[in-house]
Amino acid sequence: MSLSRRNFVIATSVAAGGSMVLSACSSGGGGGGGTSGGGVSAGKYSSVSIGTKEDSTGPAPEIPGAKKGGTIRPISPQDFSHLDPQRIYYSWNSEVGNLYIRCLTGYRIDGGAMKLVGDLATDTGTMSDGGKTWTYTLKDGLKWEDGSELTVEDVRHGIERGFASFTTEGATYLQAALTGTNDFRSVYKGPYDGKHLDSVVTDTAKKTITFHLKTARPDLNWTLAMQSYGAVSAKHDTKEKYDKDPFSCGPYRLSAHSVDKSLTMVRNTHWDPATDPIRNAYPDSFTFEFGPEALQTSDRLIADSGTDQYAVMAYSGVPAERIQKVLTTPALKSRTVDGLLTGLYYYAINCKRIPDLKVRQALNYAWPLQQIRTIYGGPSSGDYATTILGPDMAGRVKFDIYGKLAKPQGDTAKAKALLKEAGKLGQKIVYTYPQGSNDAFEKTKVVIANALKEAGFDPVVKPVEATSYYDQVQQIDNSFDVMWFGWSPDWPTGFTMIQPLFDGRVIANGANNVSQLKVSWVDAAIDKAAALTDATQANAAWAALDRQLMEKEAPIIPEMYQRRFYLYGSKVGGAEYDPLNSSFVLYKLYAKS
Amino acid sequence: MFRFILRRTFSALMILLVISAITFVLFYVAPRDPARSACGKLCTPETLALVRRNLGIDDPLPLQYWHWLAGVFVGRDYAGLGHCSAPCLGYSFTNHEPVLGLITNRFPTTLSLTLGSAVVFVVLGVGTGMLAAVKQGRALDKIASSISLVGSSLQIYIVGVVAMYYLSDQWGILPRPQDSVGFSQDPVAWFKGLLLPWFVLAIIFTANYTRMTRSQLVESLAEDYVRTARAKGLSRRTVFFRFAWRGAMGPIVTILGLDIGYLLGGAIITEETFGLHGIGALSIKAVRDNDLPLLLGVVLVAAAAIVVANIVVDAVYALIDPRIRLA
Repeated sequence: MSLSRRNFVIATSVAAGGSMVLSACSSGGGGGGGTSGGGVSAGKYSSVSIGTKEDSTGPAPEIPGAKKGGTIRPISPQDFSHLDPQRIYYSWNSEVGNLYIRCLTGYRIDGGAMKLVGDLATDTGTMSDGGKTWTYTLKDGLKWEDGSELTVEDVRHGIERGFASFTTEGATYLQAALTGTNDFRSVYKGPYDGKHLDSVVTDTAKKTITFHLKTARPDLNWTLAMQSYGAVSAKHDTKEKYDKDPFSCGPYRLSAHSVDKSLTMVRNTHWDPATDPIRNAYPDSFTFEFGPEALQTSDRLIADSGTDQYAVMAYSGVPAERIQKVLTTPALKSRTVDGLLTGLYYYAINCKRIPDLKVRQALNYAWPLQQIRTIYGGPSSGDYATTILGPDMAGRVKFDIYGKLAKPQGDTAKAKALLKEAGKLGQKIVYTYPQGSNDAFEKTKVVIANALKEAGFDPVVKPVEATSYYDQVQQIDNSFDVMWFGWSPDWPTGFTMIQPLFDGRVIANGANNVSQLKVSWVDAAIDKAAALTDATQANAAWAALDRQLMEKEAPIIPEMYQRRFYLYGSKVGGAEYDPLNSSFVLYKLYAKS
Repeated sequence: MFRFILRRTFSALMILLVISAITFVLFYVAPRDPARSACGKLCTPETLALVRRNLGIDDPLPLQYWHWLAGVFVGRDYAGLGHCSAPCLGYSFTNHEPVLGLITNRFPTTLSLTLGSAVVFVVLGVGTGMLAAVKQGRALDKIASSISLVGSSLQIYIVGVVAMYYLSDQWGILPRPQDSVGFSQDPVAWFKGLLLPWFVLAIIFTANYTRMTRSQLVESLAEDYVRTARAKGLSRRTVFFRFAWRGAMGPIVTILGLDIGYLLGGAIITEETFGLHGIGALSIKAVRDNDLPLLLGVVLVAAAAIVVANIVVDAVYALIDPRIRLA
């Protein structure tokens, strides 16, 4: 139960929302001993690709055995923080957003594989001008929940709303690319005074919308899948109040909402499955229940009685107290889905205070990943991370420069030798973590300090109170050498992982490059990879940069790709893990009779 | 009586005013920024300033407090969200609702929880205490005393979880606690849904009442006036209820009033344990979300409940004990 402050730094749209990622780091894992590993499906990584026009054509492939009707009942400790598409960034909100929001593009998820396809658009877009111009054509038969037609104007209106003064929570990539500045609200104030953006051109007759970007964004097709860029009808736009009562163009619409208690979505009869390659929409309704913590929900799903047979654990996974029981009981294990988060947990090394590469490498060698993972709950809590890009990222190439897979307990001898070579034996290392957010940190700090001592460092543990943690470690002039941190990509390509964390030009108080890595070749490589218009080449460039960063700069110590387990009731079918939101794919679930 | 109520109401309002001011100041002393959570992932200084303006927290602290206070009496306008009519306790931006609406939405659960468990713990606690007092020193007294000792040392988050696991999940004797059905919609479902929380909450409180009833009664049974009444030949029952019990009642009513006041402010642990949506769960949410208007609201509800309970207790005390006059 951690405080949900700025934790979206760690867990943004893509990993499970804010605080839960942090807290689940102890609760998502195995019970205590951490030696089981029995139920862990090793190496089950998903693949990421861009689909064709055919892939973008509805309806979504039928799920064998699925039937229409009934109600699915997701249970979560917390309500959604936002329902207005332009204010959605957390994955928890995106999970429900998928039921009523549609964007130009979206993800089709099949057996763990993610394929980017056209959702409102006929395909994933046509790029020209080296990534500075993108054109999309809308499908026929797109409707709002009142039966009116969804037009390119609605798509544009949704994008222009992202500039309004009240949509501060959403993503900003497209706004920045369209205006050429991060302070995009100084250029355009949103659509409410009747003005449109010059850089977005619509053609109602041809049903096309064209984006003229100031900066090349060859990965804009991925960006546009974020719900921050979902369509909104100007006619039904209630501005600030839209967050309470969004208007649907997806298979379900909001029917009742009692804040922090429950939310009901019912079928939107105007949604045409033929337009939608992504969503199946078998149940007649979804009733979300808010309040119960993960432990209670687990117990209810284990008991599997009454309407709980139609329930699924949304948002928080099976906690440490129950994971052993769930994984070792076949009847329960068969009622789980699991997968890794796309985000990475890591320890940022302050390159300004630790400028010597050998010292940073020695830290990587010495770090006791195995002991740390045991504290988190063992193998079921996740996989050791050795790369910056997670396994679910497009084009990711696995490597292990510091031999962490062979020696997860840490190679303190090698670390010591490196330190000696650098003449830095006895180097003081100030390690910090958010205190009070998770008990696991109080244990990991001990194994970390021990390993560092053994490797010839002089570790000093200096925790920071959790609520002001990010403010403090994101100060340029802080007094920390190694800082616990985490980051989730906003779409599964290298840009959103590497640029914010390692671009030397973005270093500022409050910015996310907490390693403060400022190296000209890295900046140049980022620019080069970001400008590659061929997706395969771009992916390869990011993967290469991933390796070079760890090899030549070692600005971080990768820790874990965390794994989540979610239980579902015995009468729920079609359960599948959404790698992007680390949740159930809600629109694929069906109720068995 | 009228003067008493007038005077006490005035002092109660003063207390609430002071509490709201203290909460306001304390909130801003804490090293956290409520604007950050609404500022997106790549939070630029410009966006942060915009969020502060949206939340109305870019004004100086005294001015913010004045706006809030004025809102309570004359209502307040929120740009884009409309008018919040008096008494406006502010607008909860994280929940997209006026604070007062959130509180009134949650209050039925807290009220049901409080009154239901009060009935259970008063009946059980006072009943057992009376029996123990009558059977002073006998086996029944000893058993009742030991059980109450165990009860008072138990914790809700243990008893609650264990009771829920066995009674609901394993044996299916009681339904899982729920508060989604109100009393007016379906009294039976309402009753069933709260039965377990009532009893678990009562376990903790019953002990207090057993012990207190017993000791008060033992004391008053030994009083001269009780002996006199008995010597006059009044029946045991009359002596017990009309004389001894009346004398013993005062302190018990006092504690009951304060307990109810306390519970109306939100049974945080109980609500969290059972996943109920009362004032307690709302206050946790306010703290988690860094939501000052909501936090102020729940703090004031809790404070008001205690203050009102005190007034009621004092008034009731005077009714029970004619020696006490309201002045």
